[in-house]
Amino acid sequence: MVVRQYNEELKYLEKINPYCWKIKKGFQPNMNVEGVFYVNNTLEKLMLDELRNSCRPGMTGGFLPGVKQIANVAALPGIVGKSVGLPDVHSGYGFAIGNMAAFDTSDPTSIVSPGGVGFDINCGVRLLRTNLHEKDVQPIKEQLAQSLFDHIPVGVGSKGIIPMNARDLEEALEMGMDWSLREGYVWAEDKEHCEEYGRMLNADPSKVSLRAKKRGLPQLGTLGAGNHYAEIQVVDEIYDKFAAGKMGLERLGQVVVMIHSGSRGFGHQVATDALVQMEKAMKRDQIAVNDRQLACARINSVEGQNYLKSMAAAANFAWVNRSSMTFLTRQAFGKQFKMAPDDLDMHVIYDVSHNVAKIEEHVIDGKLKTLLVHRKGSTRAFPPHHPLIPVDYQLTGQPVLIGGSMGTCSYVLTGTHQGMTETFGSTCHGAGRALSRAKSRRNLDYKEVLVKLEEMGISIRVASPKLVMEEAPESYKNVTDVVNTCHAAGISKKTVKLRPIAVIKG
Amino acid sequence: MDEELEGGLVEDDFIIPPVKYEYLDHTADVQLHAWGNTLKEAFEQCGMAMFAYMTEMDYVQIKEVHTIEANADDLMGLLYHFLDELLFLFSVEPFLICKKLVITEFNTEEFRIVCKCYGEEFQIGKHPQGTEVKAITYSAMQIIDQPKDNKYEVFVIIDI
Repeated sequence: MVVRQYNEELKYLEKINPYCWKIKKGFQPNMNVEGVFYVNNTLEKLMLDELRNSCRPGMTGGFLPGVKQIANVAALPGIVGKSVGLPDVHSGYGFAIGNMAAFDTSDPTSIVSPGGVGFDINCGVRLLRTNLHEKDVQPIKEQLAQSLFDHIPVGVGSKGIIPMNARDLEEALEMGMDWSLREGYVWAEDKEHCEEYGRMLNADPSKVSLRAKKRGLPQLGTLGAGNHYAEIQVVDEIYDKFAAGKMGLERLGQVVVMIHSGSRGFGHQVATDALVQMEKAMKRDQIAVNDRQLACARINSVEGQNYLKSMAAAANFAWVNRSSMTFLTRQAFGKQFKMAPDDLDMHVIYDVSHNVAKIEEHVIDGKLKTLLVHRKGSTRAFPPHHPLIPVDYQLTGQPVLIGGSMGTCSYVLTGTHQGMTETFGSTCHGAGRALSRAKSRRNLDYKEVLVKLEEMGISIRVASPKLVMEEAPESYKNVTDVVNTCHAAGISKKTVKLRPIAVIKG
Repeated sequence: MDEELEGGLVEDDFIIPPVKYEYLDHTADVQLHAWGNTLKEAFEQCGMAMFAYMTEMDYVQIKEVHTIEANADDLMGLLYHFLDELLFLFSVEPFLICKKLVITEFNTEEFRIVCKCYGEEFQIGKHPQGTEVKAITYSAMQIIDQPKDNKYEVFVIIDI
């Protein structure tokens, strides 16, 4: 790592417009392309503070600031365009969280990096709509929250309740949501409103270790812990009536359910296994990187291909996982309202992946190129008329689901043409942490956090209440700042704001 | 190889070691810092620190013992794989939450650990749910092994 004084470091950063900064070559060694990050005034301060803190002399046990990590990614072989930091960017493992980077698949030296996907492969957000109004839910809100909490296994050590043996798992890994459909857990039209139709075709369960499968089996159909949650929300504001209408969100107060979860222990183990394999491949192919955590392999190497095939299996696992919880949510609502989920109009609005790598076609310098696009803590946001988005959203652009921190609002955005050219059709994924977990534990009291939520009229069911302060809104960047920056920068467009009325989490 | 010694536990097995670990700041994850009178003890403490992040140890009883093995090519790899084996022991059958770890073989030349893990099956309702550990990382990993100063410490960031 290049060690310089803070004011020296600033010479490599240039504010090119009120919402966008450029990271010039030379900020970190061997940068192949420039970096860029999107921030408004508030987020800019957080970003630069992180950099300033890392410039202090005699720092030990520290970690790289997000802006340095974006620059290290710009030094990876085969990267094209720019290494992009989204407004919710913060320090992560190798790649920053909120970092996207694309690699030219026609360049034989181009790489794939598990750190560019994250441990929770295909972590994502799904939004279900209902035809209920807030006033239909208010009288039985506590019972409904409890019922959801009873139906969905949450928190560390919880086990799935969807019957599953080792053979079922193999099929689910290969088939993704087609498996859920065949087994009767989802509706046929759910698949239409999912990235990749809920199934990555290159998944190959035979490339996945037994260890990963063993970790995955008991956890299928579980929400997880940490920042994962299921929330009952209501439509609070509509910014784009036409796009919202296409999503079936017609009026203020309409009730929706948001599910944020990923591939559980299965994906974590797939990533862990790949990192070990790639350390070896890097030595063999003499791939030089700025940071040991940026373990990677050439896309066309055996290790690279094996990772992409097992990552796809983990992506399928995550879709089956979110589908299983969709099923449980529909059951819980159906029982509480004594109506069929069909009659409650509980359709999937959309399902996004914010930790994944995908082969996509993009135009670079006027030429169509096939790229491997890594999005880590970043959501795909394709513009209107893109061939890979469903018919229902051809005129609006792809719905982008942005989950807020606990007790704050969430947003639905849509993709834009400007985003397609500037950020390879990518935008933010959530609030992004501002305080460390240890600091949250020290500074906040869990009882106060729970009381505050209650005062806001939010029912909460949480498996580990004593850790609730780690996920308190104070621990995160303001999601509204993040979303407004994306909107102002033009990389995605605000459509709907959602407000939580009940939270279920680990 | 798992050996289950229900009732085969001896009295010494129930002696709980002192706490020699703490949790340090990291934006998204948590950094474990453990120490001891030997490097072996620092490793054991680091493993116990990880389990203590998953639940409250006061609620965990020692009811069974399982043995794990970890092998690696270097010392950092050994710490990594040791913790990864412990995480695996928790994530699958026997779903063991450990209150006490005793390393019976600590080979820093061939990089091999054999460890006895004392605890019980994790049960929701009995054990308060803490934070889930997704993975062990090499991120900012440090192993301080200075016999002349009697200083043995390890730092590990776990992804949560």
